[in-house]
Amino acid sequence: MAELQQALSMVFAWDVLAVILGASMFGLFIGSIPGLTATMATALLVPLTFFMEPLPAIAAIVSATAMAIFAGDIPGALLRIPGTPASAAYTDEAYFLGRKGQVGKALGINLCCSVAGGVIGVFILAFFSPLIAEFALQFTSDEYFWLALMGLSGAVLVSGADSLKGVVSMLLGLLISMVGMSSVSGQVRFIFGIPDLLGGISILPVLIGFFAIAELIRRLPEVGNTSIPSPPEVKKPFEGVGQAMWQYKGGVARGGMLGTLIGALPGAGADIASWVNYAISRKLSKTPEKFGTGHPEGLVSASAANNAALSGAYIPALVFGIPGDTITAIIIGVLMMKGVTPGPDVFTTDTVFVNAIFIVFLLANLLLLPLGLLAIRGARHALSIPTGVLYPLILIFCVVGAYAANNSMLDIWIMLGLGLVAYLLAENDFPIGPMILAVILGPVIESNFLRSMIKAQGDMLVLFDRPIAAALGCLALLIWGAILFSSFWNMRKSRRDLHLT
Amino acid sequence: MRINDILLGLVMALLGAITIWASRDFPSLPRQQYGAGTFPTLIGGMLIIVGALMMLRGLRYRKALFTWQSDMTPARVLLCTLAIIAAVIGYIVLTPVLGFPIVSLVMLTLMIGWLTSGRWVLAGVVSSAATAMIWIAFSELLHVPLALGVLEKVVY
Repeated sequence: MAELQQALSMVFAWDVLAVILGASMFGLFIGSIPGLTATMATALLVPLTFFMEPLPAIAAIVSATAMAIFAGDIPGALLRIPGTPASAAYTDEAYFLGRKGQVGKALGINLCCSVAGGVIGVFILAFFSPLIAEFALQFTSDEYFWLALMGLSGAVLVSGADSLKGVVSMLLGLLISMVGMSSVSGQVRFIFGIPDLLGGISILPVLIGFFAIAELIRRLPEVGNTSIPSPPEVKKPFEGVGQAMWQYKGGVARGGMLGTLIGALPGAGADIASWVNYAISRKLSKTPEKFGTGHPEGLVSASAANNAALSGAYIPALVFGIPGDTITAIIIGVLMMKGVTPGPDVFTTDTVFVNAIFIVFLLANLLLLPLGLLAIRGARHALSIPTGVLYPLILIFCVVGAYAANNSMLDIWIMLGLGLVAYLLAENDFPIGPMILAVILGPVIESNFLRSMIKAQGDMLVLFDRPIAAALGCLALLIWGAILFSSFWNMRKSRRDLHLT
Repeated sequence: MRINDILLGLVMALLGAITIWASRDFPSLPRQQYGAGTFPTLIGGMLIIVGALMMLRGLRYRKALFTWQSDMTPARVLLCTLAIIAAVIGYIVLTPVLGFPIVSLVMLTLMIGWLTSGRWVLAGVVSSAATAMIWIAFSELLHVPLALGVLEKVVY
């Protein structure tokens, strides 16, 4: 009880609350602008979190992402343009409901289900992660090696249709993570005579390059060429929302629970959670023919799922230090910059800190209700800001942000170079998710592998010696089998298509 | 711009080969066959394999080496990409000399003015406000040493 009190007083300090409020506004703004994603909001926030204590730093990212994922629904319902990819699954549903004159109801359902899903996710996170952490205390480098490998392979498997390109993306990320001094042997690798690279490529310019610069290069040509139509006015949000949610309460609960579970899986995040839940709701519905025409049932479950997935992704991130999606990859990067290594030990040595994180999560999800309402009202103004003004501001913020962590111009070069590479890769359908996960997980995989090898004097079979390690190892190998199978199958299928044409 | 799998695969395979070549001298751990070179060599090897597979796939389809798929004209995309590169490199080169306030103000005004097709007053106002806010946030509050450049003589 004393711990809970301590955690509460940690969260309810004025600076933490101010950070939560500020980050929330920022998240709502970025999320509601089409083309700017929750991951980009996080990447832009990281330079600021660099100067904060660990708790406010996490609080900033947690609240900004929760808000951004909901705010992505707003332009979806108003303009049929999803604000973030996580809203894409049910954008049509919300938009057509709006066309029936119920745009307030559509956004009200989005908002209330997001809150419900988020809260369900937080409770699952708070209940299960200490249990898993206790179990994970017995893990050695063998288990961590397999877990990290599983995280990486999961990311490749779910990254898209072309797993070959997913593998390339992962390998490039691993290559980036090899730069600098090896943590086990102390050997200096690939620094090209630049002493600043001894400590490795720092994570901040990588993030900004991948998720902000690449996006800017992609979006800048559209400025002035695509005009966003003026959004309709939102009248009477919340009218009929309670009734709809009660009618489809099963859908909300399913969205929350399944969303959390999918979020916790390595590699799968909020976008996949909402697509899967939309599909399942349709399958289970008594009136599947109404889906896609503006049916509230299509909104509830998927709306809840994407916010729940955010919380779910923190389970592997906090318990094992293995990120479940791009956002938690960034969080782990931030925590490591602050000298906190996420893992099961944190749950026993720093219970107060962990509880404080859970409280921040709950608070951010509850704050979503009033702030989300404000965002719905203010969306017309946010959407009317010309992108020609916004993008240059984001660019200067990226440059200063990349510079700020180490006060080094080299970091700005790295940001620019990797941004260009990420842009070219994304244009050619290479997924960026596996790359950022590989940057974070590369050193984890390598150091745990080498540690196991030192213990076992080079005997590879020791990686399967312990029961949990063996199970995890088989699972990881199974995922790799699935990746190989899917790329082989894709190749055969496309060859068949080619013959047919 | 879409690049043919043959070219992409070739680049990846080359990158893999260079990685293996560059990590050939990394010593292994004492009394071990594994060491600092194990992972880079493994990654390089996998890059070569995956690159070769991509090349095979590209050879089978025989598509054009480069194709354009975007709604925008290539000139527009190239211009915008170059603008971003020029802005960032301009910042890196000019900030130590001219100082952050001048570089940021000029860069933002030029970009916003260009992108809003000539709303220079708006550009000037937004740029001044943004430059001032970034200066206050990063330099004053977070103590990031943003360069003053020539302004140092004016201020002090």
